[in-house]
Amino acid sequence: MARVIRCIADNVVSPLGTDSRSNYDSVKAGRSGLARYESMGNITTPFVLSRVDRKVIDGLCGKLGIEGNYTFFEKFLLCSSVQAVRDSGIDASSDRVIFIVSTTKGNVSLLGAPQEGMEQERVLLAKAAREVTEYFGNPNNPIVVCNACISGVCAQIEAMRALRSGRYDYAVVIGADEQSPFIISGFLSFKAISDEPCRPFDKDRKGLNLGECAATVVLEASDVKKNGWELVCGAIRNDANHISGPSRTGEGSYLALMEVLKECRRDELAFVNVHGTATAYNDEMESIALYRAGLIEVPVTGLKGYYGHTMGAAGIMESILSMYAVRDNTVLATRGYNEQGTTWPVNVKSELRECKGSEFIKLLSGFGGSNAALLYRYVE
Amino acid sequence: MERKGLDCVVLNQGYACVNGRVLEHEAAGNALLAELYRNHIADWPKFFKMDTLSKAGFVASELLFKEIGDNRHEGDEFVQNRAIVLFGSTASLCADRNYQETIQDKDNYYPSPALFVYTLPNIVTGEIAIRNHYRGETSFYVLEEPDAAQMAFHLSCAFQDGATDSILAGWVDSTQNDDFQSFMTLIQKEDAADAGWLAGQLQLMINNLNK
Amino acid sequence: MEELILKLKQEIIEVLNLEDIKPEDIDNDAPLFGEGLGLDSIDALELIVLMEKNYGIKLQDPAKGKEIFKSINVMADYIQKNRTR
Repeated sequence: MARVIRCIADNVVSPLGTDSRSNYDSVKAGRSGLARYESMGNITTPFVLSRVDRKVIDGLCGKLGIEGNYTFFEKFLLCSSVQAVRDSGIDASSDRVIFIVSTTKGNVSLLGAPQEGMEQERVLLAKAAREVTEYFGNPNNPIVVCNACISGVCAQIEAMRALRSGRYDYAVVIGADEQSPFIISGFLSFKAISDEPCRPFDKDRKGLNLGECAATVVLEASDVKKNGWELVCGAIRNDANHISGPSRTGEGSYLALMEVLKECRRDELAFVNVHGTATAYNDEMESIALYRAGLIEVPVTGLKGYYGHTMGAAGIMESILSMYAVRDNTVLATRGYNEQGTTWPVNVKSELRECKGSEFIKLLSGFGGSNAALLYRYVE
Repeated sequence: MERKGLDCVVLNQGYACVNGRVLEHEAAGNALLAELYRNHIADWPKFFKMDTLSKAGFVASELLFKEIGDNRHEGDEFVQNRAIVLFGSTASLCADRNYQETIQDKDNYYPSPALFVYTLPNIVTGEIAIRNHYRGETSFYVLEEPDAAQMAFHLSCAFQDGATDSILAGWVDSTQNDDFQSFMTLIQKEDAADAGWLAGQLQLMINNLNK
Repeated sequence: MEELILKLKQEIIEVLNLEDIKPEDIDNDAPLFGEGLGLDSIDALELIVLMEKNYGIKLQDPAKGKEIFKSINVMADYIQKNRTR
């Protein structure tokens, strides 16, 4: 039998809280981290962003005993992973533990704003990840998953595989991104950012909001079934269509969904947590992929109205919140949604709903034509 | 019987080598990639829109498929059983720097979408997938340095996806427009079953990255 | 106008990296998108940057670009009327 992969600890640090529970409760209560900014650095176009208060992160680092010469991004990674590792009780300094970092841009803000006393090579993603493994005294070489917006799901898939191979017993999977003028200006140049809180799947959606979050799952491999959250399977598929535009047929997302559906018990599927960025093309593409995969009637929920698009963290944070929601028999409200705005009528609502079932699918897509899905199951 | 080594292409700013045969060339740096494109590929004008990282990965993959006579795909048929898994240490740093220049100066602030899109290193996997109609897995991993054992491990892991029966695998790095290293190889499932052998093969390619 | 059209073609060839294409290869009335030059959505966004950077014309709505980038003639005409630099 293939080794069973379970999530044994998790953490989310965001404007809505510094642990998973407080994040879940905030979202359930309808709170959002989104706020409007009129400018930032050289950017003079207004935009909406969910930004973490730097003082909160510094305070959290102080509380957790994280000291050292770290960038904001590295502190962000650490204050989430330190809490999750502590809660898991694992010895992170063991060579049986693999660290996998998910980020799109890491310390890229150092290019535009070098920091005194901070070596410029920290802009290299694996160097930033090395700061994390060194903090924990982990002897393995760090690896960073850098697959654009789907990185957080890919990192969990990679962790699952590394654990199933037998070489490791635990994986610490951390995702984070800092929102600097670099990323914001880029998405603005793509005319993809809304100056209002985003409206996923709505007919009047105007684009995405960016957001900041750090999230961690600690995964364990075991040879026997135990109760708890099991990471059942995952798949990554490419559209082979365009490097920035989503496929008109939802090809990659459809293929990724079909792959994870092989293991899914349909009557146990509580919901699909979608990408739902609120750009015209993404949400339309997802509706097509869901329809083609036979999932058009399954409840669908998206979290961008609370967090914005948190990039490297998205796949991990959105998986964690989905675990809490399934355990709470709840489909979280898709904040910002009002009226159907996709060709296929996905089962999305702006209110909380009750649900049954012990499984959920997490779906993401991103630049490079990349798409990924994974399936989690709660085992009683 | 000795097992046949993996086919491979190794490129850097002043060097192009296919299965041990050095390709003759006149240009260096980015111009070398254009020269290789014109002499050996020539039917994909999107090439000229790519950043250096994507060009280096794309040209290496094209030379590899040409060398092994891979038929890639039949007509419009999409290939779902081949994955693209690439590694690098500097990721999109070259594109990052180019894009940063377009936003650095307040009086000359014109963020370029065409440069921004390449600030994601996995775009090179997308470029190759589009060219070859591959709808399988595409992944980009960042390591501190080309580590054959670490790469062999993650490549063998990638075969856990039941749909994947071969992987276009390689290394791509670029820190400046005229500075790049890449190698590309094609790995079958059975190649990855012996991680030690695979690591040895990758090490031979790594050794030539800075030739 | 002739001068503007030639300059515009040269600028488009440069920013969109249209290697192997010369100004005389671009028909003044032919559609810029779709067949022909093989331009895509990123090229359209880059043309919006070109309009702002070289002619001081700000296009907020990318959909507006579709009308303006119909052909070189339409684009040059729009620039002539709206340029601020």
